[in-house]
Amino acid sequence: MDRQEAIEFLLDHYQHPRNRGQLENADVVMPGGNPGCGDVVTIYLKVGEAGDHVEQVSFEGEGCTISQAAASILTEMVTGKPLSEIDQMDFNDMIDHLGREVVNTRPRCATLALGTLKAAITKYRNDQIRAGLDADS
Amino acid sequence: MADYAHPEVLVDTNWVADHLNDPNVRLVESNEDILLYDQGHIPGAVKIDWVADLNDPVVRDYLDRERFEKLLSSKGISNDTTVVFYGDKNNWWATYALWVFKLFGHKDARILNGGRAKWIAEGRELTREVPNYPPAKYVAPERDDKTIRAFRDEVKEYIKKSGVALVDVRSPAEYSGERTHMPEYPQEGTLRGGHIPTAVSIPWAQAVREDSTFKSFEELQELYGSKGVTPDKDVIAYCRIGERSSHTWFVLKYLLGFPKVRNYDGSWTEWGNSVGVPIEKTYQG
Repeated sequence: MDRQEAIEFLLDHYQHPRNRGQLENADVVMPGGNPGCGDVVTIYLKVGEAGDHVEQVSFEGEGCTISQAAASILTEMVTGKPLSEIDQMDFNDMIDHLGREVVNTRPRCATLALGTLKAAITKYRNDQIRAGLDADS
Repeated sequence: MADYAHPEVLVDTNWVADHLNDPNVRLVESNEDILLYDQGHIPGAVKIDWVADLNDPVVRDYLDRERFEKLLSSKGISNDTTVVFYGDKNNWWATYALWVFKLFGHKDARILNGGRAKWIAEGRELTREVPNYPPAKYVAPERDDKTIRAFRDEVKEYIKKSGVALVDVRSPAEYSGERTHMPEYPQEGTLRGGHIPTAVSIPWAQAVREDSTFKSFEELQELYGSKGVTPDKDVIAYCRIGERSSHTWFVLKYLLGFPKVRNYDGSWTEWGNSVGVPIEKTYQG
């Protein structure tokens, strides 16, 4: 993907965001933010019944083109994916996927959604552990 | 605009429309959102990004003389070019870029009053075509860090001085210490909240109207004068990283004509993280 293609890719997702909006029955609602340029993203995560993969994911947010486009792109990337695979996703992989040449001066904007999704997964697992402990007691 | 102390530093959208093909004028778009320029910009405008172009990539500082010369040469800007900055967010980043240009003494730097928002609101032409200008010859002096830039230890001295004014241009909640960033923004970035002792609170955006143009000379004079920020004083403005305060610096220096105004770019991210510096906090929560 050359620079212009990367820009078109980002603008398409910014102007026509996928999976934008609240998700009914989300297991986790996780807000995230980037103080560098004022971007905010909230991830809504619904985990599959077996507790091991993303059944549905959506986002809401405001901010710069890169942060909002990246959130849209991420939701497409991870729907149906095992949680363990998302654990392995590296911020650098995300930057490469978005187009390093375009986003390299705004790495925090580019990785905000991924970081927020990872935080959502951590919260999901902690909630599961807590629910298990409550059931035992 | 005629009542301002230096009306020549502001141009309006009609002026820009009339000078789109003027070889002595270079339009420079500087935004917070790095991809806005790619979505459409004023025909002939070049982009200057505050991160990639104006900051040092390693040290927390600005570019040096050599990089500045190369940057301007690559944009087809010579020492005699009239540079007109404009951008998003009430020209917040445009005034920041202008302030950096002034660190190197660029002679003729102006702001498009109303910025990108006003140009678009008037339905004027935007293009996605990126211009390619032949390299220009630019010779810059060493960066002047004394005249319009302030550092932490100088600010510390100002706390004890008379005849000076410190202006905190952040939001009231940041000033009080309730927040360490703007409302609706995440609360990160500094270890302590509050403001520099003796600083008065005048949020930067109070200097502009709803259409992003600057308020009148009289309105601005009242805004700052009512808080004791008057032209007889040495003034230092600060915010979080020196971007919002560059906007206030521009207003005080050029629109109100204050003779001595500096921007403390270390601002709250330096002050609020420094060990042992005094802080006032009015928030009692």
